Amino acid sequence: MTHQSHAYHMVKPSPWPLTGALSALLMTSGLAMWFHFHSMTLLMLGLLTNTLTMYQWWRDVTREGTYQGHHTPPVQKGLRYGMILFITSEVFFFAGFFWAFYHSSLAPTPQLGGHWPPTGITPLNPLEVPLLNTSVLLASGVSITWAHHSLMENNRNQMIQALLITILLGLYFTLLQASEYFESPFTISDGIYGSTFFVATGFHGLHVIIGSTFLTICFIRQLMFHFTSKHHFGFEAAAWYWHFVDVVWLFLYVSIYWWGS
Amino acid sequence: MLRNLLALRQIGQRTISTASRRHFKNKVPEKQKLFQEDDEIPLYLKGGVADALLYRATMILTVGTAYAIYELAVASFPKKQE
Repeated sequence: MTHQSHAYHMVKPSPWPLTGALSALLMTSGLAMWFHFHSMTLLMLGLLTNTLTMYQWWRDVTREGTYQGHHTPPVQKGLRYGMILFITSEVFFFAGFFWAFYHSSLAPTPQLGGHWPPTGITPLNPLEVPLLNTSVLLASGVSITWAHHSLMENNRNQMIQALLITILLGLYFTLLQASEYFESPFTISDGIYGSTFFVATGFHGLHVIIGSTFLTICFIRQLMFHFTSKHHFGFEAAAWYWHFVDVVWLFLYVSIYWWGS
Repeated sequence: MLRNLLALRQIGQRTISTASRRHFKNKVPEKQKLFQEDDEIPLYLKGGVADALLYRATMILTVGTAYAIYELAVASFPKKQE
C-alpha cells in the first residue's frame, strides 16, 4: 500500500456532489411546480434527496476524520478557514436584509404615513417574548462555552449536560418564536413592515434550527466518544455557528424589535 | 512474574467505560479498524449493508427523477414531420 509523504488530505471520489447538485435541481424546479401548479411532489423529493445527500456527505467527513485520521493539523487549519469564510458569507446574507429594513424605516414614505412603524401596524412589545428570547439565546451562549471548557478539561458528564442545556434552550427559542408568529397581529403581507420583519426574523429562525441540528449531531458524537480534549473541531464549528446565530438575533432585537417600534 | 505480565496485558485490553448513566461503550477503536481496512471498498460503502441501501436509494431518487424530467421535456415537444 502506497503512503503519502505530506500531511494533506487527498479526498477520494464521492457521489455526493452529484446527488447534491441534482437535489438542488429538484428543489428549485419543485418550488416552481408548487408556486404555479399547486403540486408539492417534486419539492418533497428535492428536500428528501437533499437531506440524504447532507447526511451521507457529512457522515463520510466524520469517517475520514475520526476513523481514518485524515484531519491532521494543517487539514484542520483549512477546515477552520472554511468555516470562518462560510460564516462570513452568512453575515453578508443577513446584511442585505438589515439594509432593506433600514432603507425603508429610516425614511418612511408618505404612503406609510411618514413614520415608522407605519400606520395600521401594532408592533410586538419588545419587553415581552422578544426579551425572553434574547435572554434564552444569551444563556445558550453561556452554556455552550461551559460545554467547551468541560470538553477541554476532559469532563465528559458536564460536557454532555451543558450541551444538552444549550440544545434545549435553542428548542425553547424556536417554540417561543413560532408561537409569536402564530399570535402576531400583522402578517408578511402587511406592507414593507411585514416583509422586512418576517423575512429577517424568518431566515434567522431557520438558522436557529440549522444550528440546533448541528449541535444535536455534536451531542450524539460526544456520546459516541468521537471528541477528545485536544481535537474536537466539529464541536468548535458548531459553537462558532451558534454564537453567530446569537449575534444576529441581538442585531434583530435592537434594530427591528426595539428601535423599530 | 509471567502470570503478572499476562494479567497486566488483560487489563490493558479491557474496554474502560467512563460513562455513568447511559453506559455508552467507546466503539471508536473498532470503527477505526473497520474503516482503515485495506480492501479497496470506497468510503461511502465501507460501513456495511446500510451504506449500500442508502446509496442506492439516493442515486435512484436523484438520477432517476432528473432523467424522468428530461424524458418529460423531450416528450413535451412534437417531433417535426418531414
